[in-house]
Amino acid sequence: MKSISLYQDKNTPVHKLDPLSKILYIVVANLIPVLLGNRIATMAFILISIVILTIGRVLKRTAPMLGFSGLVLITVVIIQGIFRQGNATPVLTLGSVVFYKEGLLFALNITLNVINILMSFSILVLTTKPSDMVETFVRLGLSPKIGYVMSSVFQIIPQMTETMATITDAQRSRGMETEGKLITRLKAFFPLISPVVMNSLITTRERAIALEVRGFDSTQKKSFLSELKKTRSDQIFKAALILVFILSLVGRVLMWLK
Amino acid sequence: MAKIVVEHLKYRYPLTEELVLKDISFTIEPGEFIGIIGENNAGKSTLCQALVGIIPNFYKGAYGGKILIDEIEVAKQNVSDICRKVGIVFQNPFNQVTGSKLTVYEEIGFGLENMGLPRNEMIERIDYSLRLLDIYKYKDRNPFDLSGGQMQRMAIASIIAMRPEVIILDEPTSQLDPQGSDEVFRAVQSLSHEGITIIMVEHKMEKIAAYSDRIMLLQDGQIAAFDTPQKIFSMDDLDRYGVNAPAFTRICKSLNIKDEKTGCYPVTLKEAEDALSLSGKGGLRV
Repeated sequence: MKSISLYQDKNTPVHKLDPLSKILYIVVANLIPVLLGNRIATMAFILISIVILTIGRVLKRTAPMLGFSGLVLITVVIIQGIFRQGNATPVLTLGSVVFYKEGLLFALNITLNVINILMSFSILVLTTKPSDMVETFVRLGLSPKIGYVMSSVFQIIPQMTETMATITDAQRSRGMETEGKLITRLKAFFPLISPVVMNSLITTRERAIALEVRGFDSTQKKSFLSELKKTRSDQIFKAALILVFILSLVGRVLMWLK
Repeated sequence: MAKIVVEHLKYRYPLTEELVLKDISFTIEPGEFIGIIGENNAGKSTLCQALVGIIPNFYKGAYGGKILIDEIEVAKQNVSDICRKVGIVFQNPFNQVTGSKLTVYEEIGFGLENMGLPRNEMIERIDYSLRLLDIYKYKDRNPFDLSGGQMQRMAIASIIAMRPEVIILDEPTSQLDPQGSDEVFRAVQSLSHEGITIIMVEHKMEKIAAYSDRIMLLQDGQIAAFDTPQKIFSMDDLDRYGVNAPAFTRICKSLNIKDEKTGCYPVTLKEAEDALSLSGKGGLRV
């Protein structure tokens, strides 16, 4: 079955980490550069993220995300480099277009921050099974209903796409034109709507009943089939993160005092 | 003491004029295997849903009379609480997949998680029901990647794992091949021997005749007859109810061979064989 989640099923130490450790990493990786307010911290975390992604063998998967945000970042560089308020020191002149140092440095900050955020989130998204992530939240007290919505989306949306494909095929087999010019394809879209919507409504009701007869709405406190995995590497990873965070906090305070 | 008591049950779906269930009353003893037959629109599925409380909790409409299971009134309970006592498997296995679990194993665990069972008991029950329905080999597959028949067995397994005292099956073998439906019937029968009350809607008459203790014949929202398979299929006006007797019964009917003890036509291969050899008609071996 097609999946809409970005999760890559591999067996690496990164995949085995507790989702909470990865979330903690996101928080720390993005807070410390803010605390310290320098580029080197951001670059250091980008580097760490790259190392973690390489261990998890998912580094390649970040390319499409970086490519997409790269487009946006290029416009940031151009606009800030040329027009930022306070631009004073020209560094590069292309014809009549002048790039200024201040603007370019500012754009560099933004770019590094965006890449840092992207990289740290990709660790979580690419190496954590969505259902595991949801389960972690439910264990922490998220309502199971919201948890269900979050985890079922990953399966039910592809199911709906499949239903849609089936209905299209059924209509095509009865002679409807569904391919060709844009206008033909647009026309073919309308007869799809009502069966797809009706089908989803009926399916949803039946599924709601099926959940109900399996005690979904029960007031009983839920238990979990999968075991809580508290590994040593998780504890070390988390402890290291917290330690680094405290150190940078201390560093920040010392900088103030000076 | 009766397991299920239904008294003057009446029901009309919202926005409709006619009653779907018209004054139905019956009692079912613990451990019985009950078959429900009848033509389309006779109210079979509606009755099943009423027994679990989906009617009137999910479908509104007009409801009258009462259903007592172990002297608890179903209509006044939450479906989520009743489901510990009464499990139901629906016709369409596809819509019974929760969609939040990635493997068959976890899918069956869904109900057990909701019941708050400890982990080792869950594992024991999941393994048991996977083996009972012979789908243990698919335990790591995605539930949506199963075929219709496998999905149907998974749906049954996930209810069995919850160990209700009554299991209602609404055409549980509609997507199964003859061998698969045989396996399901045998699995259900073994549950029945364990003392679980079974109520099953089914169109495969040979099967339902062979396995049920009693058969409820529904027509137009009313109980036309509720008796042993032999008596039901020996009725002369069976055609009027849109029901075909099992092949064995039809053969014996046209040969006019009756079981001497009960005075009814035989309903299973075994009974037909015995009756034929006793009657001495040709002494044919079936």
